[in-house]
Amino acid sequence: MLVLQGIVDGILAGGLYALMGSGLTLVFGVMEVINFAQGIIVVLGAYLTYVFSTHIGVDPLVTLLITIPIMFALGYGVYALLLRPIKRDRVIMSLLVMYAVAVVIEGCLDIIFGGTLVQVHAAYSTSSIHVAGLEFSDLYLLAFGLSAVLLAVLYVILYRTKFGRSLRATTQNPTAAKLVGIDVDRVSATTLGIGVGLGAAGGMLFGMTESFNASSSYDLISRLLVIVILGGFGSVWGAMVAAIIMLVVEDVVAVVWSPVWGQTVFYLVLAAVLMFRPQGLFGRLAVRAQ
Amino acid sequence: MLVFEGVFAGYGGGDILRGVDLVVEEGSLTCVVGPNGAGKSTLMKLVSGLLHPRVGRLEFKGRSIARATPRQIVKQGIVQVMQARNLFPELTVRENVELGAFLVSDGEVVRRRYAEVCEMFPIVGERAKDRAGSLSGGQQRMVEFARALMTDPVLVTLDEPSMGLEPRAAKIIYDSIVSMHRAGRSILLVEQNVRAGLERATHGVVMEAGRVRLEGTGADVLANPQMRALYLGGTIEEGRVASSTGVGAGAAAPPGAP
Ligand SMILES: Nc1ncnc2c1ncn2[C@@H]1O[C@H](COP(=O)(O)OP(=O)(O)OP(=O)(O)O)[C@@H](O)[C@H]1O
Ligand SMILES: [Mg+2]
Repeated sequence: MLVLQGIVDGILAGGLYALMGSGLTLVFGVMEVINFAQGIIVVLGAYLTYVFSTHIGVDPLVTLLITIPIMFALGYGVYALLLRPIKRDRVIMSLLVMYAVAVVIEGCLDIIFGGTLVQVHAAYSTSSIHVAGLEFSDLYLLAFGLSAVLLAVLYVILYRTKFGRSLRATTQNPTAAKLVGIDVDRVSATTLGIGVGLGAAGGMLFGMTESFNASSSYDLISRLLVIVILGGFGSVWGAMVAAIIMLVVEDVVAVVWSPVWGQTVFYLVLAAVLMFRPQGLFGRLAVRAQ
Repeated sequence: MLVFEGVFAGYGGGDILRGVDLVVEEGSLTCVVGPNGAGKSTLMKLVSGLLHPRVGRLEFKGRSIARATPRQIVKQGIVQVMQARNLFPELTVRENVELGAFLVSDGEVVRRRYAEVCEMFPIVGERAKDRAGSLSGGQQRMVEFARALMTDPVLVTLDEPSMGLEPRAAKIIYDSIVSMHRAGRSILLVEQNVRAGLERATHGVVMEAGRVRLEGTGADVLANPQMRALYLGGTIEEGRVASSTGVGAGAAAPPGAP
């Protein structure tokens, strides 16, 4: 029963990490940019929700209507102003740029909010329901449900719209995409906007499930990067599966053994997978035609 | 219709093209040949907007396209099939072909053209739902051609379309190039197989070391004794083959000369 509860908890929390990680892997797929700022973006999303809900009294869920557009604009602007001008050594230079963006945002948040841990509260954040001896916290059900909805929206954008087709084309062959008239820079800026927006939506949920401060971003980004590595860089589907594996392994180990060993066991699983599939679960070696 | 004059271009580490003068006449099938590394693909990248000339004039229908983006160039009716890897391997054949009409907003037009290219290249219809990456090299070329025609281009530029194909597949490719030409499109073709390319061309161009070394009608260039020297590893004197058509006359003159 404990193991089953661990699996349930892991799947529910995994949905949230899938949401935060999907933005990271999507951006890498389109423009080979490792968005090192994704961790602090999540925290920024959490703080925005915190401010709107605690100080202005908006329901956390409703704040998404404000934070997602703001964060989309931030991502779009970062691409247009900072990443687009990079002409050579794109992968490493863009990593440095995103690192700098992360440091700046973290510094600002630190100055404004200090180091005190805060949490977003809502009426539904403490209750839970019981089914067949298993406990489902309302909050985690909400997090899972909302993540699933947003990922479904992402799916529709990717596979049912003209923009989605141009995004997938750019991922697979950026040069050929240019030659059919796709504006690869605009697709890239929009994708970074979407990735950052997804991160911020994840941030709202993260801020409700855990207390956080600006430094929480380090633990977050290392987890998100690991999820993307396990799932395969560029694969949104892979990120979802990997997030759930990570959280299930951690939660099961935590209940049957000790929370201390959760991460360690997961990293052993990761190492074992990478020995046999260095490209990750759903990644492809040399995906791109240059 | 497409004019290069005194064009120098490279990738940041010195010029690869060193003063290219070339005219692609409207309605011609212009075939460029030359040894590996001569700069043929570099020339093609200038036409598609992936690369821009460092100096020199590059005009299409009298308007400069030297700084144009690939998107603007496609809008003007120039399409390019690159030397290798043109497709989106994980997308279906149909998605690939439809993306050729990315800039065409009228869905009815897209449907009509899709039906047309399916007729011209039956493989497109037969394998419409398959991943493009699962097709053979020759079949992928067909899909690339089909995609290129989706914009109804006036100038089709093809970089070594027969590369890596067995003779029968190459023959089909050459035939479809000739029929595109007969349908009234101008063609700029780069070809490694000198004979196959020049035999079908109305105009032949030989490039070497970043310059145009020889030009004339396809047949004249093919018959030129200097071609032998070039392909046996030597270099040739700059010059023009006596050409009855006069096409390209003056193209070897230095930039700015009257
Ligand atoms: N992206 C690039 N960056 C730097 N140098 C390049 C690049 N592409 C080509 N070159 C160099 O430019 C020169 C000409 O290359 P190009 O591809 O234009 O030749 P080509 O005539 O098409 O040859 P081939 O018949 O082998 O296709 C070569 O020396 C090549 O090394
Ligand atoms: Mg070439």
